[in-house]
Amino acid sequence: MVLVRVVGEEVAVAAEPGSLDADLADASLSLARRFAAGATLWCWSPRWPEHAQHVAVEFVHPVIVGKRALPAEAVDVADPVGALRALVSPGDVLLAIAEASDPDVRSAMLRAPAWGAGTIWIGTGARPGPGAADHVLWLDDESGTAVRSGEIALMYHLLWELTHVCFEHPGLLVDRDAVCEGDVCVTCSDEGRLAEVISAQQPCVATVRTAAGREEIDTTLVEPLETGDLVLVHAGMAIERLGDAADARDERGAGGSELGR
Amino acid sequence: MSHEGTDFLYPFIDGDERDASALLKDLAASARGKADDSKNLRVATLERCAPDLEVAAEALANTFRAGGRLFVFGNGGSATDAAGVAALFRTPPWGVQLPVRSLVADEAILTALGNDVGFELVFSRQLIAHARRGDAAMGISTSGNSANLLTAFAEAQRLGLLTIGIAGYDGGQMATIDLDHCLVVNADSVHRIQETEAALMFALWSKVQTRL
Repeated sequence: MVLVRVVGEEVAVAAEPGSLDADLADASLSLARRFAAGATLWCWSPRWPEHAQHVAVEFVHPVIVGKRALPAEAVDVADPVGALRALVSPGDVLLAIAEASDPDVRSAMLRAPAWGAGTIWIGTGARPGPGAADHVLWLDDESGTAVRSGEIALMYHLLWELTHVCFEHPGLLVDRDAVCEGDVCVTCSDEGRLAEVISAQQPCVATVRTAAGREEIDTTLVEPLETGDLVLVHAGMAIERLGDAADARDERGAGGSELGR
Repeated sequence: MSHEGTDFLYPFIDGDERDASALLKDLAASARGKADDSKNLRVATLERCAPDLEVAAEALANTFRAGGRLFVFGNGGSATDAAGVAALFRTPPWGVQLPVRSLVADEAILTALGNDVGFELVFSRQLIAHARRGDAAMGISTSGNSANLLTAFAEAQRLGLLTIGIAGYDGGQMATIDLDHCLVVNADSVHRIQETEAALMFALWSKVQTRL
């Protein structure tokens, strides 16, 4: 499934589109822009929580004296998706260090646009699908040792270093392309915005969370809905329900897992 | 002198820079350069430290063979590296599972000790509680000068533990306190040091595994 990312900045790619260097440059500029606008960086690694903590300490307590302290926090708790739902504010950034197959991370990355959050996904091995996060920073890692031998650390060290270079360019910390002008802005117009259902107790109506906040929508076309479902909203109406964990389960099943036994 | 005459050399000096493409190009080039530096430092350090790594791996393998445990500790990013190397030894991608514990894992213990007896003692007090002759202690510090590591190593030596230091720069004080093994990453960027320290500890783990 390809989910069109309806929220999150587009940054023109310079130098070898698709290369890790260019991906790091893009991710750093958009992270710096989000920090400049007041974001908190939420760091999460289900299998390697120490890496998430390492990212957070880099930003909060820089190793280079004089660099500004920035709000970053590692999330290492039970029910991380539920915790992030409570913690993330519009404009924040969710950074995950995880395999592409991690079902919790996939779920959170899908939901992040409804929370108004940008996303960065760092990992190795098989790559997440297109559009899985705003920024996918991926290592090939043929040896399978990158997580423990310093290469993943290099990736987030570079993200920190480049983000601070961006702060030396204050004129570029506002994404002028994303500033809303006229009636064609995707963010502000009502063109298929992602929403997460908060409650759906009344027939044909649900309270949802979108990047713009809480709102009530008409759900006639996609009934029945449950809390936590993801829908696309157009003109105050849910027009499509999006898969989430169910998709991950289906894919694992198709891969010949033990679920079918 | 007015700076107006030279502003054209620094188009972003007044915060009026508009075009991000030049910056993105610079950032990408910078990322490539730093990644090359990191790789070169890792390769050079692993080569230079190869003999020391073999000796340290032999000693650590002997510790595990005799039923000893390894305690790992560090501060900040090195604390997370301690947690990472402990996880690598405990639940490895291949090979034997080994009893390795990080002394930074428990916030109750860290804050209790830090609050009651001082941060310099947060690791040494845990060694007193947990460690016995035949165990090993490994401390990670990019400067080599962290006070709580030096205190912990002194305690480890008093307890008769095998001591292993992982340090950067010139090894700092950790290079001068007669540790059984001290592996030093000769560099002066904390980030590049940490990346190579991780590579050193991965190599140490791998060499221990081949001996068990």
